[in-house]
Amino acid sequence: MMTNSILRRRRNELVAGVLVLIILAVLPLPIRDVYTQNLIILTILYAGLSQAWNILGGYCGQISLGHGLYFGIGAYVSTMLFVSAGIPPTIGMFAAGIVGAVAALLVGWPCFRLSGHYYAIATVVVGEIGYLLFLNWDFVGAATGLYVPFHGENWAALQFRTSKLPFHYVVLAFAALTWIVAWVIEGSRWGYSWRAVRDDVTAARSLAVRVFPSKMAAAAISGFFTAIGGAIYAQYVGYIDPDSVLASSFSVLIALPAVLGGVGTLWGPLVGAIVLIPTSELTRSYMGGAGGIDLMIYGGLIVVIALARPTGLVSLLGIRKQVGGANAAPT
Amino acid sequence: MTLDTVLQVALSGLLMGLIYALVAAGLSLIFGLMDIVNFAHGELLMLAMYATVLLNAATGLDPLLQLPVVAVGMFVLGVLIYRCLIGRALGVQFNRGMVQIFVTFGLAIFIRGAAQLAFGGDFRSVNVSWLGNKTVHFGGVYVPLPQLAASLVCLVAFAALLGISRTEFGRALEATREDRDAVALIGIDRDRIFALGWGLGAAAVGIAGTMLATFYYVSPTVGANFALIAYVTVALGGFGSMTGALVAGVLIGEVEAVTAQVLEPSLKQVGMFAIYLVVLMVRPRGLFGKI
Amino acid sequence: MKRLWVAMAVFAAGLSTAHAEDILIGAIYPLSGNASQIGVDAQAAVGVMSDIINTDHAAIPMLLGKGGGLPHMHGAHIKVIFADHQNDPQKARAEAERLITQEHVVALIGSYTSATAATISQVAERYEVPYMAMDNSSPSLSQRGLKWFFRTSPHDEMFTQGMFDFYKAIGEKTGHPVKTVSLFYEDSIFGSDSSNVQKKLAAAAGIKVVADIKYRANSPSLSAEAQRLKSADADVVMPSSYTSDAILLMRSDNEIGYHPTIMAQSAGFAENSFLTSVGTLADGVMSRSSFALDAVKSRPAIPAVNAMFRARANKDLNDNTSRQIVAVQTLADAIDRAGSSKPEDIRAALTKTDIPGDQTIMPLKGVKFDSTGQNTEATPVIQQISGGAYHTIYPFDIAVQAPVWNVGK
Repeated sequence: MMTNSILRRRRNELVAGVLVLIILAVLPLPIRDVYTQNLIILTILYAGLSQAWNILGGYCGQISLGHGLYFGIGAYVSTMLFVSAGIPPTIGMFAAGIVGAVAALLVGWPCFRLSGHYYAIATVVVGEIGYLLFLNWDFVGAATGLYVPFHGENWAALQFRTSKLPFHYVVLAFAALTWIVAWVIEGSRWGYSWRAVRDDVTAARSLAVRVFPSKMAAAAISGFFTAIGGAIYAQYVGYIDPDSVLASSFSVLIALPAVLGGVGTLWGPLVGAIVLIPTSELTRSYMGGAGGIDLMIYGGLIVVIALARPTGLVSLLGIRKQVGGANAAPT
Repeated sequence: MTLDTVLQVALSGLLMGLIYALVAAGLSLIFGLMDIVNFAHGELLMLAMYATVLLNAATGLDPLLQLPVVAVGMFVLGVLIYRCLIGRALGVQFNRGMVQIFVTFGLAIFIRGAAQLAFGGDFRSVNVSWLGNKTVHFGGVYVPLPQLAASLVCLVAFAALLGISRTEFGRALEATREDRDAVALIGIDRDRIFALGWGLGAAAVGIAGTMLATFYYVSPTVGANFALIAYVTVALGGFGSMTGALVAGVLIGEVEAVTAQVLEPSLKQVGMFAIYLVVLMVRPRGLFGKI
Repeated sequence: MKRLWVAMAVFAAGLSTAHAEDILIGAIYPLSGNASQIGVDAQAAVGVMSDIINTDHAAIPMLLGKGGGLPHMHGAHIKVIFADHQNDPQKARAEAERLITQEHVVALIGSYTSATAATISQVAERYEVPYMAMDNSSPSLSQRGLKWFFRTSPHDEMFTQGMFDFYKAIGEKTGHPVKTVSLFYEDSIFGSDSSNVQKKLAAAAGIKVVADIKYRANSPSLSAEAQRLKSADADVVMPSSYTSDAILLMRSDNEIGYHPTIMAQSAGFAENSFLTSVGTLADGVMSRSSFALDAVKSRPAIPAVNAMFRARANKDLNDNTSRQIVAVQTLADAIDRAGSSKPEDIRAALTKTDIPGDQTIMPLKGVKFDSTGQNTEATPVIQQISGGAYHTIYPFDIAVQAPVWNVGK
């Protein structure tokens, strides 16, 4: 019975996923204004990035505040490959993903020995070290950053003069991919082990879950997709420098949608991104001139959501809590 | 490199290190008490610095005389933050760790925006003070008086915080830290203790802010310049350990000064962060943290 | 009856031209975050120039100083819409696109930081709208073969050339030439552009660089860096810093008893908050500038324009705000000469710009763009602080006071 209901639920989730995908695919068709298109693209991109973060931070419970590092590495690897070796970003982004995964493993190896706040702060510091090293690394342009040269419309290079539609489908594919990965993980043995690690490390050990390898696996997958997101972002913006892709603020921006939307849930990152990204962009565009009010609204919103909806905004939608939530026994 | 230079670098590192420790003291106190990292720490520091600069401009009173005023003001603010936000975050049943992180994070953004709105983006400084820009020198070694005063205040503040821990209130703090639920049984109001803890922590930041303002500029984003170093100081010393914060602050100050002197100055923070990571590999709970 | 209709039609046509539509220009600045004050001041500067062009007032002796709208555009007004980029290239790009496609601006102006200018200029290129860089000084911007990029003010190479010209002139004049310099620059695009040019020009002038210090911007302390400068003991220290670090450097030098001759790459050293924060410590500091508030003899429009700026911002015009005023003036002049608000016409008019220096408030020879969009007639001045204000000391013919030169003493 239990298994049946789980299977049915997972099938329903998949159906819902396909429906949302279809909605998001037709959504931009009637929209002609570039600003709204840009808003939607950023929202979907952050939903994907935050889902990638969610794999480590939500399902495995390791609150990383240094994911900006993998994002930046992804942006730099694909851009460097494109600028200096002519390798198009459609291929380069996978190289970026691999480097991002390796970086996540290298960071995880020392940091996963730390627990709680020690881990969170160590990830902030590692991210900051990465930022400082890129800022001083002449080979990748140091502070001057890297321009992505525009060679005319080209799908392989993900370059489009003024149309935003192609990018919409690129970020949608990216976000859909991260969602599928999270869906697969939820139902897999890995997913169960990770949640056990998150909920109670001691209990997980007693259930013969290999804690350290679990964290490392989650980190690698998370780093891989975060870096791909960075590669797409670099191509989208057309210029990167350490401040714009490696700043510590990115690490928080990546984590926030998942945290406020519903951490460790399939839909949390998307819901969180739909609320946060337009709020931040619209308040800046229409209130930024008023000096600080936009930041007050944004910060206040974060506080209110975190306090009023600790389980995340998804709980407002009546979507059930995460599988085997923190208070449920691992099965 | 002459002997004077070596002494000067060591001294600058020591003074700056004590100032880092002073900035980190409040953070360490709050963490030790209730296992919360306050990500709005830098913004509280910024508010205290603004309070000092604005009071100074309005009254011409020396920052040293303002110390008690700013400390009391920050104490009240700390209690308010606990009563309005942190207390609620502690009561959350689900995701408590993340809620705490992101509530203080949202608060940080809010305060920064409010400061921007209230004070504008211009850089400001204390212009009238006894110590401002004054220096004494012994041979070729120079001692800036504002930093010297801040270092002494740091030592006094740490002594006071250690003193508090020996009082009745300190023992209540300690008991609350050890077992949050059990203290209720012996008639200690946990909420009240925590609120006082936040008040004390914020007052400590207030003192740090006032002392910093005697030689550092103020702007709405100035908190970020010190916040990360404060987190590193606290984590390196061991969360909750006052002695740890003091030792870690000095260590970080010295590492920074030496890195900037012998290596690339633009990499000096890499130096201090690297030391922190290396120590954490050996001691995952910091120098003085309980293993 | 018919005549009446004709008369009414003519009257209506007259009405519609008299109330020609505003010409919209998009400005992208940091209005929140670290550099927000720059954006706020830019709003004031741009507002002043818009008022000078649009409103009726006593004539100011400069191009478009008569007011009453653009003369060749039936008195049309220019209207500048501001957007906030928070010093983030992505946001700058999004705002540039929004301004072009939604607000239908005919030109863009901005943006203070080089990273944001990089993406705004890309958008301008793709949408084929002119971008006037008002206060970006990175040489790399005009070296990327952009067709729609224009810059009225000097870039860092031209600015730095001005400093070394001054060294040569003052060396000949006083017999105490500069033999050594220390470079002190922040780890940003501004710092690296500036220091690269300084190294190149120092080598060309036979001046030795005895310390080459790249520092972390917004550090809690610059004591160790100041100590290195002191140990190197160069004739002149050449900092490239924004306001925060400019304040900290002056104090850190003082703390270790070091009082060098300073020649700054403007930026933070030109800000009012720098002058008020460091007070007398700044006496004797020299800086390049694209503006000379005291050059009223050769630039008669300065007092009136500065008074208008003071009324809005409660401070004097400086290096940045003066550049913004001249950039808006130049752009408005091009729109006026084009007699059209089509971007391609404005671009064509911009390439033919020829404004004599005395028609502006800046001490430049004039405004004339080369094929990269750079004003070739832009010349900086050297100024020195005394009594809490900057005074022009070079070129000697427009100097208002003699330099205090302590090198070699």
